[in-house]
Amino acid sequence: MATAVTDLAPARRQVLVVRFTAGERIAHWMHFVAFTVLLGTGLFLYVPALQPFTIGAAGAASRLAHRAAALLFMAAPLVYLVWSPREFFGSLKDAFTWGPDDLGWLRAAWCYYTRGYACDMPPQGKYNAGQKFNALTQIITFNLFWITGFIMWFGKGTVPPTLFMWCVVIHDLSMIATVALFLLHLYLVAVHPLMRESITAMFEGTVTEEFAREHHGKWLAERVYRRRAEHNG
Amino acid sequence: MTRLAMLFDASKCIGCKGCQVACKQWWGLPGSETEQTGSYENPADLGPNTWTRVTFHEYEEAGRTQWLFLAWGCVHCTQAACVDVCPTAALKHNELGLVSFERDLCNGCGYCTQACPFGVPRLEMANPLTGQAKASKCTFCQDRATNGLIPACVKTCPPGALEWGERDALIAKAKARVEWLKARGYAQAQLYGEKELGGLGRLFVLTAPPEAYGLPANPQYPTLAAGWQRGVQPFGYVAVGATVLGLAINWIATRRARLNNVEVIAPESEGEKEG
Repeated sequence: MATAVTDLAPARRQVLVVRFTAGERIAHWMHFVAFTVLLGTGLFLYVPALQPFTIGAAGAASRLAHRAAALLFMAAPLVYLVWSPREFFGSLKDAFTWGPDDLGWLRAAWCYYTRGYACDMPPQGKYNAGQKFNALTQIITFNLFWITGFIMWFGKGTVPPTLFMWCVVIHDLSMIATVALFLLHLYLVAVHPLMRESITAMFEGTVTEEFAREHHGKWLAERVYRRRAEHNG
Repeated sequence: MTRLAMLFDASKCIGCKGCQVACKQWWGLPGSETEQTGSYENPADLGPNTWTRVTFHEYEEAGRTQWLFLAWGCVHCTQAACVDVCPTAALKHNELGLVSFERDLCNGCGYCTQACPFGVPRLEMANPLTGQAKASKCTFCQDRATNGLIPACVKTCPPGALEWGERDALIAKAKARVEWLKARGYAQAQLYGEKELGGLGRLFVLTAPPEAYGLPANPQYPTLAAGWQRGVQPFGYVAVGATVLGLAINWIATRRARLNNVEVIAPESEGEKEG
């Protein structure tokens, strides 16, 4: 027997939870654009097959693009800081605050990775241990990138040659670490069958209540609901 | 092909700087403004437009002062750090065993200027802000050498202090010359460049210790120079490759788990589901 569309129960009004402010999202996409341009133009020197892009007009353009993108890259956290200072310091604090729930996440992560469902995963805060690990790596490599990049850009011939060569190596190692995390990040938001929804947080700023409950239960209860209750009560 | 090399015999050099001028003439390099530094050296250093330069040194031994001259430029190492760090292969060993340089391929990164244990390659910075630059150094006149001619500096050297030829033959000749000099009172006479950095393409017969000429007694290949292209880069491919593999495994596992937890219906399968 065919089911009429009108027989379906009326959809419950979906509740969306604000996850990222406009300032956070803009800073994130600035970082994304800068990072991909920096990676693309940087790989010209790294991958021998891309050598044709290092010479002639293409070489001049890619060197300029790498430097322009470097400025955008450095500006992104400043935009974050100025536009959304509360979230900036909140996230920074979160990234450096590790507790039993993070240990629980790390214990359950292998099961989630190999079997595709959460086994005894404790409710997570705004950022789970994996996201905190990503944030910490980004913070460390961001500083390594700009410091070594700055030395290579302006310090050639001024700084000791050994320091210069260390800068090249550290710049590259930072790139390898961030590319691995970048691929993981892209995979989780665009390919992973259970997490694709998380990308709406960065496009629209919100996630559904269901997603927030499942992936960031502690955050939803302790920060979102309680803060709302305090604010309204 | 047999490896070619240059031999500089300091005991024959008269410090005329003919090599310096011939180099500039052959390559069309402009002169550079210079300063009086109290020495006959001119200009005071190698530069983007000065690939060969005669250096002047005073050396005192047992109350006897020697006025030393050295025709200086790229020494064309066997273990060439500049070749190992060059990301665009602008610097490489050519078929004559010389470190050749293709200006068109150079992207101005300047890694060679930092890696060279002798500080030879120089960077001409057209625009520091945009990074437009070109490196340069002596190539032993690669255009001439690969066509059977001798480098311009060798061609012009009036006292015959510079020689060009097969490296092994030049080494034998240099060793005989060292013995000849020792027999005539130059106790410190020595050959420099036979073993240094795997063997240099520019060999030196010296009448005083290398340091007296401003040469490093024991030049060292910078370890990091090899680490970058041979260590860091392969490591990067492995690390990123392992990441992709790990993600693929997780995708298969997660997708299977998800399909076990959901019911997939399609218009054609409605009946089958009922049964």
